[in-house]
Amino acid sequence: MSAVLAIAAKDLRQRLRDRSAWVIVFLAPVLISALMALAFNDNDEFRANLGIVDLDRGPAATGLTQVLRSPELQGTVHVRSYDAESAARRAVDTGEVHAAIVVPEGFSQSLHGGGTEPVRVLDSVDYGLQAQLARAITESYVAQVNADRLSVATAVAAGAPRTDIPELAARAALLRLPEEVRTQGLPDDPLKVISYFGPSMGMFFVLFTIGFGARGYFIEQQQGTLDRIAAAPVGRGALLLGKSVSTFVYSLAGLATVTFVSWLAFDASWADPLGVAALSVAMAVCVVCLTALVISLVRTEQQAQGLASIVVFALVLLGGNFVFASGTTPAIRTLALFTPNGWALRGFTDLGTGVRGWDAVGAPLLGIAAFSLLVVAVTALLLRLRRTP
Amino acid sequence: MNAPVRQPDTTRLVLECAHLARRFGQRTAVDDVSLSIAPGETYGLLGPNGAGKTTTIRMVCGLLSPDAGTVHVAGRPVSTSAGPAKQLIGFVPQDVALYPDLSVRENLRFFGRLYRLPRRRLERRVDEVLDLIDLGTRARDRVDSLSGGMRRRLNIGAGLVHSPTLLVLDEPTVGVDPQSRHAILESVTRFGEEGMAVLYTTHYMEEAERLCDRVGIIDRGRLVAEGTPRELVALVAERDRVRLTAVGGLGAYTDACRRLARVEGAARGGDHGDLVELVVKDARSLLPELLDLAHALDVDIRSVEIDEPDLEAVFLHLTGTALRE
Repeated sequence: MSAVLAIAAKDLRQRLRDRSAWVIVFLAPVLISALMALAFNDNDEFRANLGIVDLDRGPAATGLTQVLRSPELQGTVHVRSYDAESAARRAVDTGEVHAAIVVPEGFSQSLHGGGTEPVRVLDSVDYGLQAQLARAITESYVAQVNADRLSVATAVAAGAPRTDIPELAARAALLRLPEEVRTQGLPDDPLKVISYFGPSMGMFFVLFTIGFGARGYFIEQQQGTLDRIAAAPVGRGALLLGKSVSTFVYSLAGLATVTFVSWLAFDASWADPLGVAALSVAMAVCVVCLTALVISLVRTEQQAQGLASIVVFALVLLGGNFVFASGTTPAIRTLALFTPNGWALRGFTDLGTGVRGWDAVGAPLLGIAAFSLLVVAVTALLLRLRRTP
Repeated sequence: MNAPVRQPDTTRLVLECAHLARRFGQRTAVDDVSLSIAPGETYGLLGPNGAGKTTTIRMVCGLLSPDAGTVHVAGRPVSTSAGPAKQLIGFVPQDVALYPDLSVRENLRFFGRLYRLPRRRLERRVDEVLDLIDLGTRARDRVDSLSGGMRRRLNIGAGLVHSPTLLVLDEPTVGVDPQSRHAILESVTRFGEEGMAVLYTTHYMEEAERLCDRVGIIDRGRLVAEGTPRELVALVAERDRVRLTAVGGLGAYTDACRRLARVEGAARGGDHGDLVELVVKDARSLLPELLDLAHALDVDIRSVEIDEPDLEAVFLHLTGTALRE
């Protein structure tokens, strides 16, 4: 045990004397997380400035405006009216509003059974989410209008006099479509950007520890100190354990620093500190396993550096460290499940939105453990093959 | 020339290698090498580059498994696993194997901890080794700030922290400046005198002659000869040459010398006729007799030169190649 601690302490001392290691594992993730927090600070609460062009001037169009200004959407949607579509187009183009809804002339009349042009949404590529919201509100409202039209048409077909159509239409408008969709299992708290990108950047930079660890091994081999350790009464297991302990401690310290600073200085929040600790420990163990894998695959310091960089960038690109998982394609979201950082981020996201305990970190911990075990199995196989003459 | 002859304790051997063999693919690096070292004995493994010295040393230190044969240190088997025999071995690799970003003291302390020295004893030993290698004033300096010679000394010191019974030095003077080389050789002489068994590989025959009680000559993986430097030299059927510069009755003196049993030839020479050249067996032991004879004949000896056959000649004789080829 004394040899294990001696090797681990020596490795840690060397790493802490390496300024680049300080920058990469401690300083850079904190700075980048801070920058992201500042950049996305206003986006902690989603807002949409929407324009509306009422060319219909009838009750149905007024109804849509009322929906947009309803108490449910207050605080999220800010509405500005425009007289003409061209004015609304200009407002969208200049960013005055994020999107605009154009209600065509005759829209209310269509309730009486006539045809009409569709309601249009003017959007901007810069505000995709806001345009989607405008479209969703409009489609929801149009669906209600269509239901009203169907009610009136049904009544007329059943023999109601045509003179009663306005009254029937008014009564139908009072009836709401049943709410088929109600969110279930979604968290109550919105996810803060820093709560996602803090650990995300922490993991990204801690993954560079793979390169440090693997390179360190080959540097020691080259300078002969590994032989010197092997000539001492130190078993291979103790050597491996000592080096693993140092990589583990270093990785964990990096993750802990970033999450702590994110919480203390940038108001990141996670529902369960123990969950955060468990995910950090699991990721640090995984970094140790990946370091061993890289060592087993290569023969030189340069190869170790190259392969470690490939591994790091492949993992962070697939795992979603640079973008919110929700903003990626289903394929990428599936691929993220093959990465430990993807699983960890899933856990951090749940913790950041108020989910606690095993519900938040159970699946991620199992995912990271499965990945780590696979890496260990492949490493053991490679080392065995290497030893076979 | 040769180190003073000590009397090693041959009753309990520190190192016993029996029939060591190791192949790398089709190439045989070490072939049936057996050697032993007693306490206080310095054994030189002499051979050119690629002869199998380093492979032998790696097997002795448990860094490499032999394909055949055994290694025992103080009766304990050596293997690549962490056996108790490794506690007794101090390994000094050919290249400086230290951590350049750690201080001198931190390096010594780290290698000492690998041998599980208790904290107090470790600190005491580190101080002792710092004195021994004369780096006490640089203890807190990083290794990468030391000169090449200092690093070499520290490289040896790192193998001594745990007070090994057997010190294994793999060509410790390669690429070293003369001053540092002298210091290293002095240290190795002292280790032997203090009772440590030393296995020393070199391809410098002067070092082997100066340091070693016994020498094994290794060539193409095989130990082709073994013995004290004198014994090895005796394998070569050459004789020593003695050159005496003198004044007095040199004709009579030369004739008298010819009559001595171990003198095989004698002749006068020199630009001024003041030189007597003799071909003798074992000049060193004959020298007192030659001086007594000069005194008896009233010849005043001004200088004596002895040319002895050396290990270079032995190596040439045994392998057909020069040592440094």
